Amino acid sequence: MNHCMKTLMVGLTCMGLWVAGCAKKAEQDGLTIGMSQCNLGEPWRVQMNADIQQAASTHPEIKVIFKDAQNDTLKQRAQVEEFISAGVDLIIISPKEAAPLTPVVAQAYAKGIPVIVLDRRVLGDQYTCFIGADNVKIGRAAGQWLVTHLDPGAKLVELKGLMTSTPGQDRHTGFMEGIKDANLNIIFEADMKWLEANARKEMESALARFDRIDAVYAHNDPGAHGAYLAAKAVGRESAIKFIGIDALPQEGQVYVEQGILAASFEYPTGGQEAIDTALKILKGESVPKEITLSSRIYEAKP
Amino acid sequence: MKDLKTPGRPWTSSPSARALGALVAVLLLGALFNAEGAFFKWGTHRDMLRAVSVFGILACGMTGVIISGGIDLSVGSILALASVTFSLLTIHWHWAAPWAVLACLGVGMACGLCSGALVAKAKMQPFIATLAMMVFARGLAKWVTGGEKISQAVKQSDGTFAYVDLPPLFKWIDSRILYDNISVVTLVFLTCLLLCWVLLNKLRAGRYIYAVGGNEEAARLSGVPVGLIRIVTYGVSGLCCAVAGMCQACQEYQGDPEAGAGYELSAIAMVVIGGTSLNGGKGSIWLTLIGVLTIGYLDKILSINAVGEDKRLMLTGIIVVAAVLLQKSRR
Repeated sequence: MNHCMKTLMVGLTCMGLWVAGCAKKAEQDGLTIGMSQCNLGEPWRVQMNADIQQAASTHPEIKVIFKDAQNDTLKQRAQVEEFISAGVDLIIISPKEAAPLTPVVAQAYAKGIPVIVLDRRVLGDQYTCFIGADNVKIGRAAGQWLVTHLDPGAKLVELKGLMTSTPGQDRHTGFMEGIKDANLNIIFEADMKWLEANARKEMESALARFDRIDAVYAHNDPGAHGAYLAAKAVGRESAIKFIGIDALPQEGQVYVEQGILAASFEYPTGGQEAIDTALKILKGESVPKEITLSSRIYEAKP
Repeated sequence: MKDLKTPGRPWTSSPSARALGALVAVLLLGALFNAEGAFFKWGTHRDMLRAVSVFGILACGMTGVIISGGIDLSVGSILALASVTFSLLTIHWHWAAPWAVLACLGVGMACGLCSGALVAKAKMQPFIATLAMMVFARGLAKWVTGGEKISQAVKQSDGTFAYVDLPPLFKWIDSRILYDNISVVTLVFLTCLLLCWVLLNKLRAGRYIYAVGGNEEAARLSGVPVGLIRIVTYGVSGLCCAVAGMCQACQEYQGDPEAGAGYELSAIAMVVIGGTSLNGGKGSIWLTLIGVLTIGYLDKILSINAVGEDKRLMLTGIIVVAAVLLQKSRR
């Protein structure tokens, strides 16, 4: 085992050196922005970081340090504490949860570090600015879109995102408001937990059970794509309108362009707006306490 | 099959009969809650077989590992790694399909052999060694892709996306043959099943796998190369993960570094509900097939009846326990 131990030690040392090499020191001159992302497991959040990077790259005077909390509330709290002690000029946080991250955000705010809260909220008012889109509004827009594009009596399938998550609940609530007064029936609903493979499986069940389905509303574009593949496999895709949410450039927008989805409703990341707002704050200009991002609809060309 | 019938014992005592009992019980449940006849359509069964195939392929490799007395927690992550590797090579780098398939099999097997070596040579607990591989392979998949899905949209240097065509292999694997009656992925699963049956029941290595799982010390004293056999079982599991990963990529038309999260638990459940013992030494690949069908049908029946997620999880838990108890009571 001695040999094994030695190999292990060498390996660990190499790994330590590599990690040390990766850690970048905050620059002394210019402005430093700390960005704490709650997780990079979702393409949408990867896109948010990319948007922030893209927006920041046009301003050479600012430098953004990205941290990924890997869906761990306590890790994210520690990251904000690190930003505070490193003395960054501004913090952007896309928090995992409201309650556990409120104190640390308030702590930074009290120390005079401006904090921009992105996408999900924290409690109270101890932050500089909240930027986010409104899932209820987007869900409502999706519902209204179907009302104008379907005949009365149409039959719908709803493939929900994780229903224990706020976006899933909001996209459902908004949608129900959107179709409230119309004569549309949801004949099948399932929780596909944001995953394409699940959406496809559930849609297969819906297709096996119902001979007539007019539209599928999925809480994200991969879900709508999975449903489309299930319908295509039985040759019923042309009779069904598929709509999804998010409209990421490499996902929903492509599906709409290819005619797979009838429409996709953008859920903006706010990356660009966060950097714009950050620059205003750092220049001493005043910014609103809350910025609601507008959503675009991507529609297939007739 | 040696477990089929022992003389002097009732037929219900054979593991196959007990496993079949659980499957039949689930099928009866399906006939009872048939969702307005949807359960009696062939399409429902065909789609169930498609949906369960990726898990089934993982369970094939898992069977060998469990019979040898080990466990492999890394299957879901290796599946993701293989799925992004395959997408990257074929969609973005335009490799010819055979080379891409070989490269993916290589990646999967390398990961499996690595876990095997950690278990057999470094004497690590299989749980820990494959847990480490599970985390590492997931990280590698994310690193290779930069955290993004590998799809037809290729990012250009200016941040915009260009669209490339999908290789024909993707569409072929995601299609159905035999007059539209069976998915290609299901045939891939059945092929894996058959190959594992040959390995476990027809080759000397297979007898060694049972021997190692049954009594490692006795096997060693009888001259079985215990370490090598352990490494082989994990290597085969890695190969199965690579195959499953490619099937997953073809069915999603993309490589997702987050794919397969939690699949290891489903694969283990399928093996165990079939009746293969987690203590090693006992079980068979056919029991795994029954386990795969049991879980697959259970899932399908809950799905066609549109049972809510909360009740679905509770019912799955209850029915799995009931199925295992059903097996025990006849012992």
